[in-house]
Amino acid sequence: MRSDAAVADKAARERNAPEYIVEMSGINKAFPGVQALDNVSFQLRAGEVLALLGENGAGKSTLMKVLSGIYPRDSGEIIVFGAKQGEYNAKKAKELGVAIIHQELNMCSHLTVAENIFLGRELTKRGVLTQTEMNNKAREILGRLNVDIDPETVVGDLAVSKQQMVEIAKALSIDARILIMDEPTSALTAKEIEDLFRIIRELRADGRGVIYISHRLEEIGRIADRVTIMRDGKYITDMNNEDTTLPEIISYMVGREIKEKYPKISCQRGGKIFEVRNLNAGLMVRNINLELYKGEIVGVAGLMGAGRTEMTRAVFGVDPKESGQIFLNGKQLIIRGPFDAIKNGVVLVPEDRKKDGLCVRLSVRENISLPSLDIISNRFGYVNLRSERAMVEKYIRELRIRLPHAEVETVSLSGGNQQKVVVSKWLARNSQVVIFDEPTRGIDVAAKVEIYNLMNDLKRNGIGVMFVSSEMPEIMGVSDRIIVMCDGRITGEFMAGEATQNEIMKRATMFDDKLAVAESV
Amino acid sequence: MNTDKTRRGKNYFKRLLAVRGMGQVISVTIGLIALCVVFQILSSNFFSPDNMGNLLRQIAPYLIIGIAQSYVLITGNIDLSIGSIMGMSSMMAATMMTKGVHPVWAILTTFICCVAAGVINGQLVATCKLPPFIATLGTMTIARGIAQIVNNNHNTDTISIGIGKATTEAFKNFFYYGKILTFGGKMDAGGNLIGGFSIYSPVIIAIALWLLFNFLLSKTRTGRHIYAVGSNADAARLSGVNISATITAAYVVSAACACVAGLIVCATTGMGAMDTGNSYELYAVAASVIGGVSTLGGQGILLGTVIGAAIWSVLQNGLQFAGAPVAIRNIVIGIIVVLSVLLDVLIRRGSQRRLTDTPFLNSLLNRGQEKTESRV
Ligand SMILES: Nc1ncnc2c1ncn2[C@@H]1O[C@H](COP(=O)(O)OP(=O)(O)OP(=O)(O)O)[C@@H](O)[C@H]1O
Ligand SMILES: [Mg+2]
Repeated sequence: MRSDAAVADKAARERNAPEYIVEMSGINKAFPGVQALDNVSFQLRAGEVLALLGENGAGKSTLMKVLSGIYPRDSGEIIVFGAKQGEYNAKKAKELGVAIIHQELNMCSHLTVAENIFLGRELTKRGVLTQTEMNNKAREILGRLNVDIDPETVVGDLAVSKQQMVEIAKALSIDARILIMDEPTSALTAKEIEDLFRIIRELRADGRGVIYISHRLEEIGRIADRVTIMRDGKYITDMNNEDTTLPEIISYMVGREIKEKYPKISCQRGGKIFEVRNLNAGLMVRNINLELYKGEIVGVAGLMGAGRTEMTRAVFGVDPKESGQIFLNGKQLIIRGPFDAIKNGVVLVPEDRKKDGLCVRLSVRENISLPSLDIISNRFGYVNLRSERAMVEKYIRELRIRLPHAEVETVSLSGGNQQKVVVSKWLARNSQVVIFDEPTRGIDVAAKVEIYNLMNDLKRNGIGVMFVSSEMPEIMGVSDRIIVMCDGRITGEFMAGEATQNEIMKRATMFDDKLAVAESV
Repeated sequence: MNTDKTRRGKNYFKRLLAVRGMGQVISVTIGLIALCVVFQILSSNFFSPDNMGNLLRQIAPYLIIGIAQSYVLITGNIDLSIGSIMGMSSMMAATMMTKGVHPVWAILTTFICCVAAGVINGQLVATCKLPPFIATLGTMTIARGIAQIVNNNHNTDTISIGIGKATTEAFKNFFYYGKILTFGGKMDAGGNLIGGFSIYSPVIIAIALWLLFNFLLSKTRTGRHIYAVGSNADAARLSGVNISATITAAYVVSAACACVAGLIVCATTGMGAMDTGNSYELYAVAASVIGGVSTLGGQGILLGTVIGAAIWSVLQNGLQFAGAPVAIRNIVIGIIVVLSVLLDVLIRRGSQRRLTDTPFLNSLLNRGQEKTESRV
């Protein structure tokens, strides 16, 4: 009897089309030492794209993990499709049609694309895997996303941006009614972002709810219908996208005004400090020549896969060089590995924080001090804990890294705060040349400014600064000189004033044949 | 003021718990205490001063090889050659001494050979990039072969035929029989101390090695590098850590410890036996892992290894005291090792999931809470 009533009730509610498909209220969630969510409320309508915004560590990912049942809430109410949820877990969430694309890639790198997409719900026929069917289905989904990936390739062999697309394909294949995307674009190319946006619009037209988290605020205006803003684990406000402006959003996010998004200082350009001559390393680093001068920031622009990361790795000695010379202050350096580079005062802030940047199971203190142990230890290798703590506390303060204390495992920090740890690792050394590879990936607006200011400080102190970035506004806003790479070669160079976005894009897509033409002219 | 103080105290405790691996050490210590209580109940002689002194002496070699294996495990590798290097050390030293070489020279030569074996292990793993399991399986077999070949495939005679009674006594006392400190006990007619609680020389050797290597691991650059390499070798390399040197250092520490353990066995019997240290590499894994050192690298502290080694020896000693036959002893010990490793794996899986954002433990811990909530 009661269940009949419930069914009728539900049907009635469906007829009235509930305004909200997700309603969360009074949500609390604490981790040891942090109240990650503090009485948060949150709503999502059917057929809308909702941008969830906030600084690093504001609790966005945590809230979404509560919604997808990965973290149990400490208290609070969750209503999904009008049904009040009691015990709520990942399985329940999945049944309700909630799918999540995580901030960090979660893939079995030894399995193929198709195997990853169907992981845990493999298609079988009488208990036997139907490989071909899965491959075909995977191909179909990838086709919808307009990406050219063979479902039979091993995921570990793909570029990070392609892996991210597979991650998205995986979520789409579930046919979710509520799709959560936690910073899906931080590793995507411009074209892939367009394809993703197209899909998001299709989902919206289809009446599904999309929650979109990003620190690339320019994207928000283009894709979101509504924004919800969080700060320090609390709900702050929510607004219709049309009724608000970017500066307003930012001031809600950080709780104060940010005057300048791309601060820039002018310095006298000094002497040449660093030079790379005829560097070759594999297919993606071909005959690179570049110079760094004191008092300037050099931005390296290009598409994903243009060989920028490979170039920085070859310079730093991570990957072997085939040929080429590197000079620091006119003296040739012999760099056989990162150790030599660091010893000589050349450092690299790497791109992939999980793989190359951090020992996630070690504490924040141990991570920050790792490259600088020689500075804070004596001749016999004894590490002075007091100077270590002082050094670590200094950077935690300067970069406003949000954590309970420096002894927590780095894996427990929010994504953006982990990125800040990676950056601060390299600032403690008095280096002569600092190369940043995508230093602001996943970092909030306020912290981005912090990092630009740090780069400016380095520039003022006569240190050579080079930074690779895929965000055009950042490259254009912060660099004094811009180098463009395509296909492992340098295809263009501009002074800051002369560069236009169009011109840079043109150089960034100057593939081999065009280059041959350009050179012959 | 007062609340401020208590808060600080609480904070300190939290920080202590936050020290890598401390939680596991505390829980296995409780396990160790429980075991001791059980054995005391089973046989009231367990806690006798005599047995305690003996027990400590038994723990010593396990602790030494535990340190050895812990170093290598923390770098994310494994050393299967520990037992064979013990055998090699024991046989080489004994053979030389039966031929009249003074113990000091015999020990020195043996030590150099063992360290060389450690360097080879390190180079095979770090520079040649062989899987550590295979590389050290190779050196394990070779070292055992050397142990057999040095005295023509025979155990040695007693070493006193080469170096005389007095020197033999000195050697044996230095490594095994010497009583450094004795509490209680009484003199017999000949002026020898009988009974009482004694701290024997191997205990002092083990403590000295532990202090040295614990300092190296927790307070120095090399130690930090060892953890970093085990935690994420790529990130460590990009941070300027010399991976190959770090891994080699760990294998050298391992081989050096195995050498000392071999010498202790040699001193115990006063001769060299070819099968000395057989399967000790696995006992070493057990001592490490029980103590919270993870086989996946990057985690664990040497304090845990002490407890692990103690649990291992207490099990042996206690079961023997309780009169359990060897077969039963083996079965019980096997079960306990598997259980403790299972615990390690479960905890690991919990935190591993957190890496991929699926908090297994969180859900376990919060389950009760959630149920009460859903009832409302
Ligand atoms: N598994 C965890 N264990 C302990 N603390 C955690 C855990 N996950 C998150 N936190 C803490 O909760 C807070 C919120 O983190 P969350 O990941 O939700 O931030 P976020 O808004 O997604 O930030 P970002 O933009 O940097 O990704 C942070 O202070 C973080 O340190
Ligand atoms: Mg996040």
